[in-house]
Amino acid sequence: MRKELPIAICAVAALIYVVSTYISPTVFPAGPELVRELNVWYLLVFACAFAVGLVNLAQIHIRRITQRREGWQFSIILMSFMTLMLVLGVFTTGRGTYSDWLYQYWFVNPRATMYSILVFYIASAAYRAFRVKSFEASVLLVAAIIMMLGQAPIGEVIWGQIPKMSRWILNYPNAAGMRGITIAATLGGVATALRIVLGIERGHLGGMGE
Amino acid sequence: MIATNYVATVILELAFLIGLIVMISRARSGLKVPAIRKVAGLEALDEAIGRATELGRPVHYSPGIGDFQNAQTLASFAILGYVARMCAKYDTQLITTNRNPVVYSVTEEIVHQAFVAEGRADSFNPDDVRYMSDDQFAYASGVLGIMAREKVATNVMMGAFWAESLIFAEAGAITGSIQIAGTANTHQIPFFVAACDYALIGEELFAASAYLSKDPVLLGNLVGQDFGKIFAVAAMILGSIMATAGSNVLRDMLRK
Repeated sequence: MRKELPIAICAVAALIYVVSTYISPTVFPAGPELVRELNVWYLLVFACAFAVGLVNLAQIHIRRITQRREGWQFSIILMSFMTLMLVLGVFTTGRGTYSDWLYQYWFVNPRATMYSILVFYIASAAYRAFRVKSFEASVLLVAAIIMMLGQAPIGEVIWGQIPKMSRWILNYPNAAGMRGITIAATLGGVATALRIVLGIERGHLGGMGE
Repeated sequence: MIATNYVATVILELAFLIGLIVMISRARSGLKVPAIRKVAGLEALDEAIGRATELGRPVHYSPGIGDFQNAQTLASFAILGYVARMCAKYDTQLITTNRNPVVYSVTEEIVHQAFVAEGRADSFNPDDVRYMSDDQFAYASGVLGIMAREKVATNVMMGAFWAESLIFAEAGAITGSIQIAGTANTHQIPFFVAACDYALIGEELFAASAYLSKDPVLLGNLVGQDFGKIFAVAAMILGSIMATAGSNVLRDMLRK
């Protein structure tokens, strides 16, 4: 029953979504309303799970602080800001409030910094990937150089055909490969969904598909 | 009866589903299922976990940042189940990090069940399945910290990834981890290919549960999936020929 019930709920919910999408609302008028209702249920489950996540985070860091594990000072910072944000978020909402200030100036900026770090990682990954060790790596290197020169004004100064070559690489070999991967992945996604709806795959229930 | 612009989609999906069900039924009735090719990334999982065991360092698993409704996240659960069982078997620490709270609840249960299945329930540490943050880059910075502090020996990333993919992969490369990654997000695949030791490309992620479990029914499903691909390729070739000859019949038919 512990596994059959979730599978049954999953199958019924999936059927509602599929029928509501594919069957015209004039034939099945209750469809859109049912989908809206299911989305509300999902939000409720998400909210409950969020609380579970919060408890997990608190447990780990409180334990780290009380046991003085390595880096426990950072856990104090995390717990302090989490509590502060929670309290301010509950009692004040909207623009110009303390919670908004905390979000805009203490959260958005570090997040942008993390995103910016990506440029250095791209450089180091590109260095490793473009080292000419094999024929494939050489092809990658040549294509990458043409692409980079094609995107920068200097490419056109060196040779007027470079931007055209760059566009050709992007629009033909690259697009063909990407579309092939996308089509196969989409079919894989549909097949995975079917396996789950039919209860064949139970990985999400803690099993291995048995 | 069928909603506007969905007629061709419904017919094609029904045909695909019938094909899958036929192949699953054949497998269930014991008929021979064709062999599937080796997937290097999945073959390497055992070796990568073994390395972590030898070094006495943890394995890190990320199911990506997709939510529970994402097919890639669902496919990732089966791989997590396998990795968790292997880690339980060899008594290796497995750190699972999560961005989505619903996914966190599921991964905790999967890892717990895997340890129970291997008779190592006492070795399961709930603190090793961690909810980090709902924010993409807060999650990314948390994972970076774990990789650096805990000196992760093996980094497995399977699921839906966006900009954080390369951040994780490079952090893993810096700490000297064996890295196995898989995603169907086409714009992130090049990053994984460039930065990881093994990469599952697109559909290989969805084939993982069948590959790892060797279950004939799941393998039958894979074969059905391949028939769908053959049909898609045939339709593309036919469509290209017809379009070149000036006929848009197939294109218009698929738009209905």
